[in-house]
Amino acid sequence: MKIMICPVNGPRPVSEFFCWGEIRPMPDPDTCSDDEWADYVFNRNGAPGVKKEWWCHSASNTWFIVERDTEKDVVLRTYLYGEAA
Amino acid sequence: MKRLPPVAGEWIDRTREISFVFEGKSYRGHPGDSISSALLASGASMLGRSFKYHRPRSVLSMANHDINAMVQWAERPNVRADVTPLTDGMALTAVNTFGGLRADKASILGAFSRFLPVGFYYKSFYSKKLFPLWERMFRRLTGLGKVDFTAPHLCTAKCYGFCDVLVIGSGPSGLAAALAAADQGADVVVVDENARAGGSGGYARGADEVLAATHNDLLQRAESHSLVRIMTSTCAAGYYTDHWIPLVTADVMTKMRARSVIVASGAYEQPAVFRYNDLPGIMLASAAQRLIYRYAVSPMRRAVVLAANADGYRAALDLVAHGIEVAAVVDLRSVIGDGEAETAVIHQGIRIVLNACITEAVPASDGKGVAAAVVVPVTQPNEAIGLGREQIPCDGILMSVGWAPAGNLLYQAGTRMRYEKSLEQFVPDVLPAGVFACGRVNGVHSYAARLLDGQRAGSAAAAHAGFGIAMGVAVPNETECPTHSWPIIAHPKGKNFVDFDEDLQLKDFENAVQEGFDNIELMKRFSTVGMGPSQGKHSNMNALRILARLVGKEPQQVGTTTARPFFHPVPMSLLGGRGFTPERRTPLHSRHDALGAQWMPAGVWQRPEYYQVADKSRSDCIQGEVAAVRNGVGIIDVGTLGKLEVIGPQAAEFLERVYISRYANLKLGMTRYAVMCDETGVVIDDGVVGRLAEDHFYFTTTTSGAATIYRELSRLNTLWQLDCGIVNHTGAFAAVNLAGPRSREVLAGLTDADLSASAFPYLALREASVAGIPARLMRVGFVGEWGYEIHVPANQGAALWDALMQAGGGHGMRPFGVEAQRLLRLEKGHIIISQDTDGLTNPFDVGLDWALKMDKPFFVGQRSLRVIAQQPRKQKLVGFVLEPGYAGTVPLECHLVIHQGEMAGRVTSIAFSAAVGQTIGMAFVAPELAEVGNAISIRLSDGSQVPATVTRTPFFDPDNLKQKEAV
Amino acid sequence: MNVNAPVLLSPVHAALLARNPVWSEAGVTPPAVLGFDGNDAQRAAAVGIADLSHLPRAGAKGPGTADWLAAMGLPVPLQPNSWNQLPDGGLIARLGLTEFLVEGDASITDTLMQTDRAAGVYPVLRQDASFALCGARVNELLLQTCNVDFRTLDAEPSKLILTSMAGVGVTILYTRTFTHPCYRLWCDGTYGLYLWDTLVGIAEELGGGCIGLNALR
Repeated sequence: MKIMICPVNGPRPVSEFFCWGEIRPMPDPDTCSDDEWADYVFNRNGAPGVKKEWWCHSASNTWFIVERDTEKDVVLRTYLYGEAA
Repeated sequence: MKRLPPVAGEWIDRTREISFVFEGKSYRGHPGDSISSALLASGASMLGRSFKYHRPRSVLSMANHDINAMVQWAERPNVRADVTPLTDGMALTAVNTFGGLRADKASILGAFSRFLPVGFYYKSFYSKKLFPLWERMFRRLTGLGKVDFTAPHLCTAKCYGFCDVLVIGSGPSGLAAALAAADQGADVVVVDENARAGGSGGYARGADEVLAATHNDLLQRAESHSLVRIMTSTCAAGYYTDHWIPLVTADVMTKMRARSVIVASGAYEQPAVFRYNDLPGIMLASAAQRLIYRYAVSPMRRAVVLAANADGYRAALDLVAHGIEVAAVVDLRSVIGDGEAETAVIHQGIRIVLNACITEAVPASDGKGVAAAVVVPVTQPNEAIGLGREQIPCDGILMSVGWAPAGNLLYQAGTRMRYEKSLEQFVPDVLPAGVFACGRVNGVHSYAARLLDGQRAGSAAAAHAGFGIAMGVAVPNETECPTHSWPIIAHPKGKNFVDFDEDLQLKDFENAVQEGFDNIELMKRFSTVGMGPSQGKHSNMNALRILARLVGKEPQQVGTTTARPFFHPVPMSLLGGRGFTPERRTPLHSRHDALGAQWMPAGVWQRPEYYQVADKSRSDCIQGEVAAVRNGVGIIDVGTLGKLEVIGPQAAEFLERVYISRYANLKLGMTRYAVMCDETGVVIDDGVVGRLAEDHFYFTTTTSGAATIYRELSRLNTLWQLDCGIVNHTGAFAAVNLAGPRSREVLAGLTDADLSASAFPYLALREASVAGIPARLMRVGFVGEWGYEIHVPANQGAALWDALMQAGGGHGMRPFGVEAQRLLRLEKGHIIISQDTDGLTNPFDVGLDWALKMDKPFFVGQRSLRVIAQQPRKQKLVGFVLEPGYAGTVPLECHLVIHQGEMAGRVTSIAFSAAVGQTIGMAFVAPELAEVGNAISIRLSDGSQVPATVTRTPFFDPDNLKQKEAV
Repeated sequence: MNVNAPVLLSPVHAALLARNPVWSEAGVTPPAVLGFDGNDAQRAAAVGIADLSHLPRAGAKGPGTADWLAAMGLPVPLQPNSWNQLPDGGLIARLGLTEFLVEGDASITDTLMQTDRAAGVYPVLRQDASFALCGARVNELLLQTCNVDFRTLDAEPSKLILTSMAGVGVTILYTRTFTHPCYRLWCDGTYGLYLWDTLVGIAEELGGGCIGLNALR
């Protein structure tokens, strides 16, 4: 089983985590077109590569960001939201 | 064959004898014997029948892949006799025989082998019409042991394990690696599938006493090192991501997480291919050495050794040292090394025939043993010349022609392997981070070099795990090639077996290539090579060599088939071992039990479906509970609701964003219904939001949403960074709903709070003491009666329940369950999220338009709902009734609404309502059918249709008079 | 003491009751199990599980909580996922970055629950099931239920671990507060019965089982 690193709780088996999915910046709902909105809401990019995702360590309810290369199946970096630099 | 005089280091305990039965005959053996060794020691020579032709077979490897010596032991099928420890009273039969091992009727199939070519099944039995017939026949003919369907379910433990360095294999290199890693401070676990540690160091001796002493010393040092744990009889069954290895013993699976892994799994000795190479008495040289040194069993009386490396000479010396005559060493090579073993063989006057091969073994008169080896000079590469043919009498042949790396776990870990021509072996080329290899699997064969290679790997693995620094160790190259590139001798009459699991002969491969299956993966699937129980441990390498030669490629170009877990069969009892299914129970669980609750799962929760009253049917119990609520008072445990709080200056702002309604204007001490949508505008949850303070809200979610809604709200709060915090009090509060016209009377006796309609109106929230317990009270109307939700700290829930039950006793109060609540709310037309909605339902579909505040600046789902609002509706949730007095089969939830022969909707809720006097329900229907008064038709499971009429909801108390104080 | 005061019950009360426990003296609220039968000590030596849910506790979370607790004179742990002993034998635990659990004398926990919350302080009502696990084979029990290496707690005794045990979210730390060193764990009370039954079942396979407070102290 894969190991995921929670920025607060450290390395743990992935079974302790919930993967929410890729971070997709929300377009401005007041100015975007219906098509842009539909693309944001419904379309997911499944192509392998480096992804930024929301993950949650379930036991501690810690949400954090994971940068992951889904092609190489490697976790590149994890950090709390807002700590990105 | 028979037992030898005591052999130093033997595994058997000669002081004790144990008895067992094989094929109806009694035998005796010693503790420490394997089934095979005890049988051989007792004089048995044939141990099993082959899979396809039912040919007599015996020991091949003594290394856990003697597929033709598998036995049925009570309910356990396919027990491997070569390694399974003998236990007292075992009753065993050979698998895969018709009428017993000695006179297997199916051995007649051998005579038809000409008509059973490779791919025979694919070509002959594809007829769809006759397939069932063939299938029955083959199911009877094929398959090995028998599954006992009455076998007891064994609940085995599953275990996690942790170590710094895991060493797989306790041979010389593995032990050296373990010591090197432990000396650097790492916590080391060594696993070995054998009953004792030591690996080939214990048997591949060449009668060399110095080597034996060196090895014993190594073993003792490892066993006594405080940081080394050695687990024997333990198989590393697979490699999973991030160094996770299932370690399997007879009765437990340990999921071992290591910081680094050393694969020191050694190599499988490979058989030579010649006619009748499968006869009992023909075995790998290492099998003979295992028999001698582990079990003190003489493998034969007079042997011919077919060799292509120094290992064969060592085996010859081991035979001679234990009184077995070696008629000749037949060497495939023209030149041999000048090592100690070769020198000793020459010195002892053992006949060596160079540049020669065995073209066939001559069967004994009964066909169940060897009488002689036919030795013929060869040209290179291994074309038998035919001249100088010589028949050497013997009762056994040792094959020592080379090795294939036991690289299964390395492959699984993602190692890139390379074919090393100087070794004629695949070796690791690029290893994944944290994975190390040493010893034979790494192409290092001589004893001294293996120790150095182990030290190198052990030190590097410890360093990877954070202990010490990797030391450079120079590992010398092999002085001779340990493996022959073509240990395969063609024979016009065949029966030269490549795969003993599947009875595949050399010609089968030639035919497969001719048929066009000239790729290793295709050939495997067409010929089934490597697909038997040994998974190609003794056949894949020869198959690869044959294919390479047939298609004119190098082994590197041919490549290997994919290695997948498990490396070795893992019993179902271990895979199906103890699992965990968490269950949540409210603080009132034992109270419900005492009242005869019939439990139903609701997500992870257990909830009372209804309370069993003696001599009443389920339906009568439920209707009775409903009547109690409608006419008097009832109480239901609603502690499973998600119970959250949001606190802080921006708490109201947070709720405005996550719910579709408005909460900024919610008055203190009041509650409001709350619906949550996802970004697509689909309804995902509902509940009630109550305001305890300007900056403090208490709110509920559905039972099923309790955990996931809290999690998602936490994420949104992380994202939005509002000045507020969310607290999950789901498990911290017990909660009941006290409902019915007499609920106020019941409560009034327990609280000083003013319960008048003016002081505590419908939808109000109050904090008060109930039965001396601090409580939050909400006037809710989910079931359509005057009622109170009462939330108290969980540890006082039972006390609250007891007080309410006591106070309610005089009012005829009854506890009610989930089913009664479903009916009560259906009468009110209240929807249940995920019962009356699905993954596509938006608020417009279910008449929640009134709750939608589209003029808010933002809420989750708002943008999508703006689009949806402009689109035509696709469906509408409506109420319906069946005809009064309808006595036929009542439709079920999910039965379809049919309009003009087409699907036009489905029933989401349905029940008989005593209050309405009819069967009532809710259904999604096409918008054109949604008009009140419309006739609709519901199709039952049997296809017949039931008429119904679309009706206004609520069915009961449409003007909500129940919430108003009686005038 | 008010004789009409409601009895506070452990989340695993029903499971305790089923084994005929000896309760702490009557009138004391909340009650605790002192022992079950004559064999508590034997079980404790193998793997003992004691219910400590009755201990008073209080909680709070939010960015202002550490300062709020420190202002009340509590020894606030500075590192996430660590804990400190309270002078009276109780403990204060930092769960993650900004959440705290205080367990100990009721005078402390009552004060916490009654003190007005400050900005960035969100009170958490603690209604945990809480157990102590001790005994020579306790690590086997942990390894059968938890995919975390607790050896790290030996190296850093002030650390605590938030993880999943038998599928339930738990907080675990290692303490020598009692005569028997033991692991303390807390979980959501509604999972308490399930976790108790699961742990006791495995402990019994290992030659141990449920124990009362007397076997622990």
